[in-house]
Amino acid sequence: MIVFGVLGVLTLVEFGVARTTGVARPAIVLALVALALSKAALIALFYMHLRFETRILRLTVLAPLVAPAIYGLVLIAESAARAAR
Amino acid sequence: MVRGARLSVKASPQQDFAPAARTFRFSQAMNTAHAHAPVAWPPDAQYGAATPGKIGMWIFLVSDAFSFGGLLIAQGILRSRSPEWVQPGEPALNIPFTAALTFLLISSSFTNVMAWSAAATGRRRAAATLLAVTALGGLLFLAGQAFEWTTLVHEGLVFGRSPRASTFYVITGFHGLHVLVGVAYILTVLGQYSRGRATAHHVELLGLYWCFVDFVWIFVFSLVYLMP
Repeated sequence: MIVFGVLGVLTLVEFGVARTTGVARPAIVLALVALALSKAALIALFYMHLRFETRILRLTVLAPLVAPAIYGLVLIAESAARAAR
Repeated sequence: MVRGARLSVKASPQQDFAPAARTFRFSQAMNTAHAHAPVAWPPDAQYGAATPGKIGMWIFLVSDAFSFGGLLIAQGILRSRSPEWVQPGEPALNIPFTAALTFLLISSSFTNVMAWSAAATGRRRAAATLLAVTALGGLLFLAGQAFEWTTLVHEGLVFGRSPRASTFYVITGFHGLHVLVGVAYILTVLGQYSRGRATAHHVELLGLYWCFVDFVWIFVFSLVYLMP
């Protein structure tokens, strides 16, 4: 029930952050990504019970997800840098 | 509870999944034509009590996460390259409405987790009711998304007219397809569970899939809707 409440609150916070004006765009992007990652972690650990699984199963699930994250960061940053030139 | 038939198994070479000396406890239901209670696998040194079904579901979900990752990365690249992401005349996305859909999906994940724990503690009626409520939440989410799409098309966000429109419909459509499959999956397990042919283990695997649908929506909501 607590996790449900926290997820609800984080969704409201996200909603508020997205509507904030007068703040640098990178800061908003960073905040939104951090909020999304924390909500996703809550769901994976508590709703999907990863927290109660063995370390190896957690590694089997979470380690591969690092790859698209890095891949995405590099490609998007490179594309943005090229567009800025 | 059907008593397990103790069976000594000679492990064939390619199936060296346990020392030959160890005996396996197969539930008798395994031999009946349709109802098969979960096999009581011996706790594995690496994966503990996680059944092959659960490990398989997790590996499927990780591969599915790659699909969404690819779509979201593509949208990020297109977006970082275009100076004007929102084309003149294109409508803004309805954030409050989508935030409500997000909360609806979080709530249906919650009822799903409740169904899972009810099934695990043998409260069959509660588990069945909660599964039905979860399916209803999924259907409401799909109805909300259909309403959102028709409104946006009406206001001028048309697939193919801009990278924003195309990526929006592809990503939300791909997720909507997962929700639709999820609702069908829930109703199937609910039907089997009500007839005593699905067990808490099946409800657990379903739970992993349904929570994954919510897991992905969190990133879609942040990266597609909220990103400034």
